[in-house]
Parts: sequence; C-alpha cells; structure tokens
Amino acid sequence: MPDEPYNPSPIGNPSVLARRNWWQTMLVKFIGKHTPKCREMVQILSQSMDKPMPLTMRIKKRLHFLICCWCERYEEQLQYMRHTARQFPEHADQASDVPFSVEARERIKRKLAESAR
Amino acid sequence: MSTLDSQTAASWVDNHGECLYRYALVRVRRPEIAEDLVQETFLAAVRGYEKFGGRSSERSWLVGILKNKIVDYFRKLGRETSFTDMEFLSDEFSEKFVSVGFWNHDFGPHEWKPEPDEVMHRAEFWQVMRDCLSKLPEKIRAVFTMREMDGVPSKEVCAILSISDSNLWVMLHRARMALRECLEMHWFDTPTGGTA
Repeated sequence: MPDEPYNPSPIGNPSVLARRNWWQTMLVKFIGKHTPKCREMVQILSQSMDKPMPLTMRIKKRLHFLICCWCERYEEQLQYMRHTARQFPEHADQASDVPFSVEARERIKRKLAESAR
Repeated sequence: MSTLDSQTAASWVDNHGECLYRYALVRVRRPEIAEDLVQETFLAAVRGYEKFGGRSSERSWLVGILKNKIVDYFRKLGRETSFTDMEFLSDEFSEKFVSVGFWNHDFGPHEWKPEPDEVMHRAEFWQVMRDCLSKLPEKIRAVFTMREMDGVPSKEVCAILSISDSNLWVMLHRARMALRECLEMHWFDTPTGGTA
C-alpha cells in the first residue's frame, strides 16, 4: 500500500484515534503528517522535562497523543522515572547489599575523633 | 566537639553510614571514592552541625551534604575529562522505530501497572533500579542522577560538567531511553513487578 508508511496507527491499536473507520483513518493520517514523528517526539518529550515546551508544540503533542498511545505512555513513564528517582536516596540502603566495611567505619570514626581535637 | 558530640558523630556512622555509602556507590561506582565521599560528608556534618536546626531528619540532612560532595566530585572530574559521551550517543535504539519514525509497535512502551507509590516500598524495585543505572556509562549516569535524583537544574549540570545544553539534552534523552527500557524489561514486564 503506497500510503502505509504514513500510517502510525495499526489496526487494533488502543490509541483514542485509530483506523476504526474511514474518518478516523483520514484523521490519523492527517495528524501523523502534521505532528512530529514518534522518534522526534520522544526527544521533545525528554527535553520538555528540562525546558518548558512552547504552546504550539504542546498542542501538537496533544494531537499526536490522540493517535499514539505509545508516546503518551512514554511521557508518563518519564515522569514515573523522575518521581521514583527522586526517592532513591531514601531507599539507597534497600537498593544494594554491598556492605559498608567495618574498616571504613572505624577509619571514619577515627577521623571524626581527630577533627574534634 | 564535646564528648557527647563525639559519640553522636560516631553514631551517625553506624546509623547512616551504610545508606550514604550505598547511595554514593550507585553514583560513582568505585568503592574507594564512595568511602571518601562518605567520610567527607561526616566531617562536613560535624563542622556544620550548628547550622542543622533539626528542620529535617538527620538522614535527609546528611544525604543533602553527600549530594553536594558528589557534585563537587563530578565538577572536578568535568574539569579533568570531557563529559560528552559520544559513543553512547550513537543511535542504538533505531530498531524501536520504523523507517519513517513511528514506533515499531512490537517494541513500543508497554503499560506500567503499579503506581510509583506502590513500588517504592519494595526493595526489589530499588535493586532493579540500581542494576539499570549501573548499566549506563559513567558519564551518562552522572548526568542522569544529578538531574533526576538530585534535581539539580539543567543549567547548573551544564556548568558543573562543562557541557553544552544540547549535549546535556541528548545525554539525558539517551539515559532515559535506556533506563526506561531496562526497567520495563527487568521489572514491569516480570511477574514480580507487573503484579504489584
């Protein structure tokens, strides 16, 4: 099919808009052509975690999400990773079983005692 | 420092040393450097104890000092070596997308079922997170942890590591892509992670 490469929405995909009828197919193709492709969208989504996205891009993103649940998930997962990563310091002792050696403990205690003099 | 203070400082090492060490180890990977950073943290804590007004927990206060020590370590490293990891920036995720740039739907992100608050109380999740972080190249990991774990503003990360904005964004993008993939494969797509 010649126009297949522009179709971001395989049959049965769970996005809001998919190729469920002729109108949706047209809409999907239109949005697919006029919003960034997923490869570019994931970079934009990552960048928006560090720098606010311009309004026009925010609109394009919303439109793109209508036809692509994968990019929408990707954005949610970036937030998920940030949210959990921020909690990491509190759980660092659960994250590893590498022991803090007795020698290092004693050395640090000696240093602390020395610094007190 | 009074006798009581000496004992307090020694108790910090027993109560918080393990946690600080493991946190530092995830960040710098080399045990001897992690130990040095923990030592510097405790020494700085003793010097600055008067400023600690008990507004946060002792653990949070010490972790805060350790984060600054880690930033100082990377600042020094950034002056000595180039922090742009070009090798990692090569497009190793190209199979995720079809040639016109849409997701290859067989490899697109899966749904992550458990809410963050649910997974945070599970030690296994943090072990997977640690393993996934440790797979990132050192420089990429440093950039990612500084930005995402410590919440250092991106401008500051660039200044600390002497890298450009665009390099930072590319490095963060690659790190997020790799970490997402790894967490999905080793946690969310497994019975342990997916059924929490």
